[in-house]
Amino acid sequence: MIARVQEWLRDRLGLDELQQLAEHKQIPLHRHTFWYYWGGMTLFLFGIQVCTGILLLLYYRASADEAYESVRFIMTQVSFGWLIRSIHSWSANLMIGAAMVHMFSAFMMKAYRRPREATWLSGMLLFGLSMAFGFSGYLLPWNQLAFFATKVGTDITGAVPVVGPFMLRFLRGGDHITGATLTRFFGFHVAILPAIATMILGVHLYLVQRHGMSVPPQVEDQGTPVPQMKFVPHFLLRDMVGWLAALGGLALLAALLPWELGLKADPYVPAPAGIKPEWYFGWMFQTLRMLPSHIAGLEGELIGIIGIGLAGMVWLLAPFLDDPTGRGPRARFWSGLGVAAIVYITVFTLLVYRGGKP
Amino acid sequence: MSAPRLIAVTGVLLLAFSGLVYAAPADSLSGIARAAQNSCLDCHRRSDQARVSAPTAHWLEDIHAVRGLGCVGCHGGDATDSDLSAMDPDKGFRGKPGRDEIAELCAKCHADAAYMKRFNPRPYVFSMAEFRTSVHCKKIAEGDKKVATCTNCHGVHGILTPKDPSSPVFHRNVPLTCSKCHNSEYMKGRTVPTNQFALYRNSVHGKALLERDDASAPACNDCHGNHGAVPPNTRDISIVCANCHGREGELFLASKVRLAFDRMGKRGCVTCHGNHDVQKPTDAMLSTGPGGTCVGCHEPGSAGERGAHAIVTGFAGLKASIGVADSLLKLAEFRGMETTQARTALRESQDRLVAVRAAIHSFDEHTVAAVVAEGNEFATQARTAGISALRDWRNRRIGMGLSLLVILATIGLLIARIRGIAPR
Repeated sequence: MIARVQEWLRDRLGLDELQQLAEHKQIPLHRHTFWYYWGGMTLFLFGIQVCTGILLLLYYRASADEAYESVRFIMTQVSFGWLIRSIHSWSANLMIGAAMVHMFSAFMMKAYRRPREATWLSGMLLFGLSMAFGFSGYLLPWNQLAFFATKVGTDITGAVPVVGPFMLRFLRGGDHITGATLTRFFGFHVAILPAIATMILGVHLYLVQRHGMSVPPQVEDQGTPVPQMKFVPHFLLRDMVGWLAALGGLALLAALLPWELGLKADPYVPAPAGIKPEWYFGWMFQTLRMLPSHIAGLEGELIGIIGIGLAGMVWLLAPFLDDPTGRGPRARFWSGLGVAAIVYITVFTLLVYRGGKP
Repeated sequence: MSAPRLIAVTGVLLLAFSGLVYAAPADSLSGIARAAQNSCLDCHRRSDQARVSAPTAHWLEDIHAVRGLGCVGCHGGDATDSDLSAMDPDKGFRGKPGRDEIAELCAKCHADAAYMKRFNPRPYVFSMAEFRTSVHCKKIAEGDKKVATCTNCHGVHGILTPKDPSSPVFHRNVPLTCSKCHNSEYMKGRTVPTNQFALYRNSVHGKALLERDDASAPACNDCHGNHGAVPPNTRDISIVCANCHGREGELFLASKVRLAFDRMGKRGCVTCHGNHDVQKPTDAMLSTGPGGTCVGCHEPGSAGERGAHAIVTGFAGLKASIGVADSLLKLAEFRGMETTQARTALRESQDRLVAVRAAIHSFDEHTVAAVVAEGNEFATQARTAGISALRDWRNRRIGMGLSLLVILATIGLLIARIRGIAPR
């Protein structure tokens, strides 16, 4: 009976082709192979986000009057609601962390070289979408910290030259953060962003499959053929060990450090002291905070936003600006740039948690 | 007409017209302008004698000057006469009014509602009749020269409105103003107590008003009255306290203890709380043991003592229940548990504890017990939620441990599988 069902599915879904594809997929085996696992880890955490997000949707109500109460209901009345909410929040942070490791490892291994420029661009787009997921999801519990962090975040968006004021109104659904902002963010978080992310993720996975894993230039230069490891089952089994470890970590975090709900948002109370954005926006926030109010007659914040925007653009265009061979002085300069970016982001993120003081 | 003549005539006409226009406002000069131009001020200001010039020092800040009133309103005379004849008694000049005349003089305007409405549509109308009920007025009538009249509190020739923080009768400044006379030196030889300000300054009311600028705290006049200032001689002092402490006053006035106090000649609220030195009531006052206020009247073993004991026990029980629930919730919060709803129940319970503190003034066991029961119900809800949160916390840890075991076992199996298959 089972054999007949398998045969039926094999005929209709083309499982043979998929099996062949999986059997033939190879992963280069060298001293940097460890970094290949981070893409899969990001994907696994994204899957957790999708599953827990759908479960939260069963009870969440997206209105200023009910959002906070519905999250509180989830955390206190719904069976395992606390676990689902806590895992969703922690997994979001771990996913962005994993995406960052994946992005920086791809950059440092120069995995964006020809013909993988589009893979890099789609990955960067996915990273931007992850940050947008984080920013829009942070407001949804409608608590005090989220309210004021969103206010600060959208204020910064409003300072972007030319399109800033429009973007501010577009994001907020008006001049201020209100229930309209909440429903708008909810729409972004559960409909628009997932739709776009699924499409881009499809393209990204296709390109990874299409071009295979990139081997760093220094490994290529060793002169000997790079040994390979089968994706199924060798790499996949190792991937699964990582995923299970991540799942265990999430269980630990959810049980030992459950994600707090805080106080309900109240636009009429002063902003809590030491308000700061989520850690992954920290380095940008700290950069803007440390700039003088005016630089060469222009507003410091404006200069900062333009600078961060330009830096992001340069980072995005790295495949086209770096040496296509991944060797030589230009390639070394870009590697140095990558190290500088990692150090800068790490230091400025830590500064946020030291109250902005070095 | 030749051109030069035409120009000359036109010039003369223009000058005459401009003179008319310029002169016109003189007919509608404001009172302020008139006051500024009055001859009293001009002469007194220039005088070398400090006694004579002193009244002009702060006159322009005086509310009367600000509102356009001059010297003649109080002193009579002719302010348009720039000579000494301005002070001719035939011109109504009456000079410095005697102390016993001042209140009547002020009342001429301040007790006239129609006149005062010219300056304020909702004026304070002074009542001479009320003033006559004051000890101050009675003493003045007896010829006592050391007793306060209007000018002693409000000042003179520099009078500010009571809303002005610099005014001696601004709410916060009243205790200090009263203490200028009500002190041991000024009151030497009199039987009036003189320690009120020292006591008040250290009282809950005094600290609130003088140290924290709490405008809702009472100053002397809130209990004694201002223009009719007397020691509160109401039928019961509780009526005075009830002006602010409404619920407590209402319950006390309807209580059996109040009747007992009447019989015993005790003075209501002050029997337990004191008056000028009233301190913030503490729960230690609610005790049938040493240090409690109940034992001041109730003999041990008496029916009253038993009733007081029931009230005190109920109150202490509720307070203890709230303490237990709060500790449980704090522990649950420390362990990261969500307790918002339990906190809401605890707040309700704490509100009932406050209500019990008020209800105690009924001195009725059943009234207090009803509020205590409500409070206990909420405290029980909070305690149950706290226990439940801590149980959840333990269960979560057990669940986490079990799931970690499953995960670790699966990881172990996977590693075994990885090692079991061909290297690549």
